[in-house]
Amino acid sequence: MEGVIFSVKRFAVHDGDGIRTTVFFKGCPLRCAWCHNPEGLLKANQLAFMPDKCISCGECAAACPVSAHIIDSEKQTHVLNRDACILCGKCAKVCLGDALTYYGERVSVEKLLPRLLEDREFFASSGGGVTLSGGECLEQYAFCSELLAALKEENINTAIDTCGFVPREALDAVLPYTDTFLYDIKAFHKDVHIRCTSQSNRLILENLKYLDSVGAAVEIRMPFVPGYNDGEVGPIAEFLSGFSCITKLRVLPYHRYALSKYESLAMPANLPEVIPSKEQIAQAEACFRSYGLTVV
Amino acid sequence: MNGDSYVHFADKEYILNKYHDTSKPFNGFGRFIRRDALFDPASGMEPESLYKLVEQNDIAAGGAPHSLRKARAIYTLLENTRICCDSRDRFPAINIVDRPLKKCIVDKWKKEVFQQIIPETGKLRTQLENDGIVTIWPDYDHSVPVWERVFRRGFTGLYADAKAAMDTLESRRPLTPEESAFYESVFISCRAFLLLCARLEKLASDTPGARRMAAALGALQHRGAQTVYEALLQIYLYFMVSEHVDNLQVRSLGNLDAELYPFYLSDLSKGVTEDEIRTDLAYFFMQFTAIGNYWNQPFYLGGNDAEEKSLINPLSYIILDVYDRMGIYNPKIQIKTNENTPKEFVLKALDMIRRGHSCIVFVSDSTVRSALEKAGATPEEARTCHIKGCYEYSVDGSLDTGMNYVNLLKPLEYCMHGGNDGITGKAAGLTCPLEYDSFDAFFAEYKRQLAHLCDTAIEVVNSFENYFDNINPQPLLSSTFPSCIEQGRDAFGGGALYNDSSMSFGFIANLSDSLTQIKRLVFDEKKYTLQQLRGILDSDFAGNEKLRMSLLHNPEKYGNNREIPDAFARDITSFISGYICGKHNAARRGGRWNCGFHIARMVYIQAPLTASTPDGRLRGEELSKNVSASMGQNREGITAAILSSTKIDASAFCGDAALDAGLLPSAVRGQDGLEAMYGLLMTFIGRGGQAIQFNVFDADTLRAAQANPEQYRDLQIRVSGWNVLFNNIKKEEQDGFIRQAEALV
Repeated sequence: MEGVIFSVKRFAVHDGDGIRTTVFFKGCPLRCAWCHNPEGLLKANQLAFMPDKCISCGECAAACPVSAHIIDSEKQTHVLNRDACILCGKCAKVCLGDALTYYGERVSVEKLLPRLLEDREFFASSGGGVTLSGGECLEQYAFCSELLAALKEENINTAIDTCGFVPREALDAVLPYTDTFLYDIKAFHKDVHIRCTSQSNRLILENLKYLDSVGAAVEIRMPFVPGYNDGEVGPIAEFLSGFSCITKLRVLPYHRYALSKYESLAMPANLPEVIPSKEQIAQAEACFRSYGLTVV
Repeated sequence: MNGDSYVHFADKEYILNKYHDTSKPFNGFGRFIRRDALFDPASGMEPESLYKLVEQNDIAAGGAPHSLRKARAIYTLLENTRICCDSRDRFPAINIVDRPLKKCIVDKWKKEVFQQIIPETGKLRTQLENDGIVTIWPDYDHSVPVWERVFRRGFTGLYADAKAAMDTLESRRPLTPEESAFYESVFISCRAFLLLCARLEKLASDTPGARRMAAALGALQHRGAQTVYEALLQIYLYFMVSEHVDNLQVRSLGNLDAELYPFYLSDLSKGVTEDEIRTDLAYFFMQFTAIGNYWNQPFYLGGNDAEEKSLINPLSYIILDVYDRMGIYNPKIQIKTNENTPKEFVLKALDMIRRGHSCIVFVSDSTVRSALEKAGATPEEARTCHIKGCYEYSVDGSLDTGMNYVNLLKPLEYCMHGGNDGITGKAAGLTCPLEYDSFDAFFAEYKRQLAHLCDTAIEVVNSFENYFDNINPQPLLSSTFPSCIEQGRDAFGGGALYNDSSMSFGFIANLSDSLTQIKRLVFDEKKYTLQQLRGILDSDFAGNEKLRMSLLHNPEKYGNNREIPDAFARDITSFISGYICGKHNAARRGGRWNCGFHIARMVYIQAPLTASTPDGRLRGEELSKNVSASMGQNREGITAAILSSTKIDASAFCGDAALDAGLLPSAVRGQDGLEAMYGLLMTFIGRGGQAIQFNVFDADTLRAAQANPEQYRDLQIRVSGWNVLFNNIKKEEQDGFIRQAEALV
């Protein structure tokens, strides 16, 4: 079996406890207005192109089977004809300027595992491990289950970073091998959630109840986006106060660093304009604390 | 409580301007410029007249042993220099920061040796330096006295100990003239120190608000220190006399927490408040901030006691806390770290680092002890070794030197140019073939050239270090070394317990990456002959930019946990340590050779003289630091850098193998970030790493600081074993750090 991933990040520090290596899977069922990993939205392969990094070496044009790269070395211009591009990724492999990045590596557990184990000494000294993220990793839950089982064979701490908008069988498939769920709650009210993510949160809230019922350890993450879900803090806090599975909660301040990624992928970016102030974040955290939640 | 509560604002202004005029532009070597305005002319002789007197006295004494002449010069200086006590300070001032003996005496003796006794060595040394091959200078920079004896015995006690040792030796046999001169030089130096204390005591007695200082100065003339304040005063005075008068840098103020702890407990039992001790520490640290030694003044904390329990104590926390609140960056702090160093303490230090205190470095206790024991030190000597300088270490009572820097890329140039330098074309190496049948043959030739370069460098250093006790004899330091006073020998003249020399080798990452590419391109893939590649390098990749980019992009780079380049780094470092360690150094010193991989400022000094390299680096571009990856090549991040660097066996040599760990502030924020830093450190130590220094920065901040320096006055940056304010380094160095930050992942 193969999984489709877009990145493996070492020394990932805020994706669960300790020093972690995080695997980012492609494909996500939500369309959050603020998504900072646009390369994880589609399961299909994608090619990112950053013209300012191009050094006009021409390697991509030479490697491209469909002549999608048009380079004028005299004028030092480089145009990517995305209509012609067949997303084979050959150009990104030979790019000498880091201008082209191919998202959509197909990996087997056998191939991926050694990469994930490279930092195991750091996991041991920091209480860290491996986190599966995305996109929505549980869109590929069968592969995740296989990967997690292999990690558990190696006694590696595991975490799943999920939006929760997944079928029950996805959770069941990974539950035996998952030490912690990093679980996103973006809104309590359904209409707000739909406006933020294009989907209802009914399944997400039900899945959280399910994780609670089976005694999973859950870290809640709330992306805080002014103008979108800043009014949801109180209702979310009240809702969460009834759960015993929640070990801690983290408020994730929205940022706009992803803008250049959208541009490089030729994806429309309608990112929210306003980033939260420190005071807003502190207020949200204080609110969660007032409901007895451990905020980190 | 903030820093100003420890050191009152007006006092701070006074102390910071005590030795230098802070309104003048920063000068890295500013510590050599005196500030006379502070001193009352009635308190002593006008400095230039005094120096002239010293020089004239010395000329008149020509023919007497140098040790005696130097001790007498020290006496004259301390008897007559202007001094100052002030109610705004808890420590006195001496109007000598310009190291007059260097100019008056030591440089003359050095010139005599280099020009008259070993003229060929002198020429060779200059040539090696000018061509960026080996940079060598006489090292008077790495001494550590036996602090325990300085505190406990005081200079009256040290004098008495030397007298008793002389009597014992003399009861067995007549002293040689050299031995007599040595003892006399020790007596004179001790008396000079005590005379300085007496002069300062008198001045302090007459100074309103300096009664406590006067009492301590009085006491220290008759006994060792008995309180934290007296111990700090003794350290400070020793430092001033050794570093600025005797011309020997004191490269550790000692194991401050462990050494001061008994005094701290005694003070508390006598009703001294912790706040008073904190204030004394703050005034003490401020002295070194004011002196402003460019390489920072080190002291260290931690280590283990004889029962292998951590020496971190409540005073360790107080020292860190006081330092933290003061917002200073000099002195610098080394932490002798073990797996049993309390986590709470390490986390406090790491938190300071991520808030910008890049003055803190961690040195692995277990690695340095293992290295020392392999080199022949006893377990007890190894346990109690000093951390000094940047991250060097040595047994208490020993005197190591090490200002010798070999450029590892020069032998590579020789191998590719038939034995000639890649820049100057001079026949600097051994004659060798232009092509090789196999990579093994090429690599063997590299090692032959490197060994030859080591031999040359060792010959140069041995040749002049043999005269060290004649060029810069050390009566003051020797008085604190039991082995010196027992044998009647100067520390440099074979008196120190261990008297070793060390050679530093720079740019291990560029070398490993270059060997990796030569092996691939010339011998495995056979894309170029060696001479074709040489031609490309000679033209600085002109017309071959695509090749250069592909070399830069090749993932097989040291610092990324890649098998091939990492194996080269390990192989070369093992080869060097195997070749050098244990060789005899200068006969009169009677010690051994060691090696290390610290580059100091060579990344800027030797790099412009180094040809382009097969890893894609252009001619003259900066080179890799310490045991870190080449510039911008740590693509796999900090964990991979640690895995790579700890493949080098740092216990095979008694020297530095420091890793520069760049981290983004966003990666280490919050409790998670702190725990992650702890995980990095402990993995580094667990894998046998020697020293790790963190730089927590992002490129945006550095760029903003470069553009608006006035808004970033306090931004510190770790250079190479020391830290500086970002504003105070050259633009090219700032640009280097910005590139380094841009490459962080």
